[in-house]
Amino acid sequence: MTKQEIIQKLTSIVKPYIQNEEGFKNISENTDFINDLEINSANLVDIILDVEDEFKIHIDNDSMEKMMSVKETVAIIQAKMNA
Amino acid sequence: MPKIGNDIVDLELAKSQSNWKRAGFLEKQFTEKEIQEISTSKNPFLKVWQFWSMKEAAYKCYTQKEEKRFFAPQKFECTLKENHFGNVIFEDYKFYTKTTITSFYIHTVAENFFIKNSNKIRKFSGIGSPNLIDNNIKLKIAEKTGISFLDIEKKKTKIGAPLFNHQEKVLTKSCSISHHGNYGAFAFTL
Repeated sequence: MTKQEIIQKLTSIVKPYIQNEEGFKNISENTDFINDLEINSANLVDIILDVEDEFKIHIDNDSMEKMMSVKETVAIIQAKMNA
Repeated sequence: MPKIGNDIVDLELAKSQSNWKRAGFLEKQFTEKEIQEISTSKNPFLKVWQFWSMKEAAYKCYTQKEEKRFFAPQKFECTLKENHFGNVIFEDYKFYTKTTITSFYIHTVAENFFIKNSNKIRKFSGIGSPNLIDNNIKLKIAEKTGISFLDIEKKKTKIGAPLFNHQEKVLTKSCSISHHGNYGAFAFTL
């Protein structure tokens, strides 16, 4: 799966939780889930569970700790899929 | 340095937007001890969100002291005492929490100082509409300091924590803002 495909899938995963439409329209690798998309932290775990289901990977706690931006999340998905 | 954090959960939104019974939902965020307490609780849904708000309030308190961001709710372990008072332990830090539960929301304030010794700390908290939080904080600061409402300015630290200033001087020693669904809440010290 290319990085672009991962970002595309991730974009549909986060969509139900975003509260900043402007931030969502401009979603890129540098997007931060909380600061740019205003996703409530209570929904971060929903996103992590959706990512696990969508990409059929297991996200351990150490990885989860860093999953606050598109860039970090994509890096973790790539690493887990290649493992 | 005394710090304060807070977190609000809109219970209607929590019901519609998250499913705490979903596989993995509890295991990723709560400790074994907490899951045990949730599963034996009369109202597991409320217990889930009370623990969540305690963890989140403690995290917001911690990150004002140590300026870094991360998502590790399981590392913040909650213990409930009587009357909605509790503790959250994270590494070497202990936070003291007080939670208010109504049929509409759960609100927790966490502090890294003990209430009995905090007479000298002027602290304030409130709940209102999410788009009025900043104004509500400014009004409260204006009332307590005598500085004009219009001269109080909101800023953010590099990790995004709120500060309220007057002519470049920081007025809030600690400040935390939380919004969820229909509610906006704050806690700050002067």
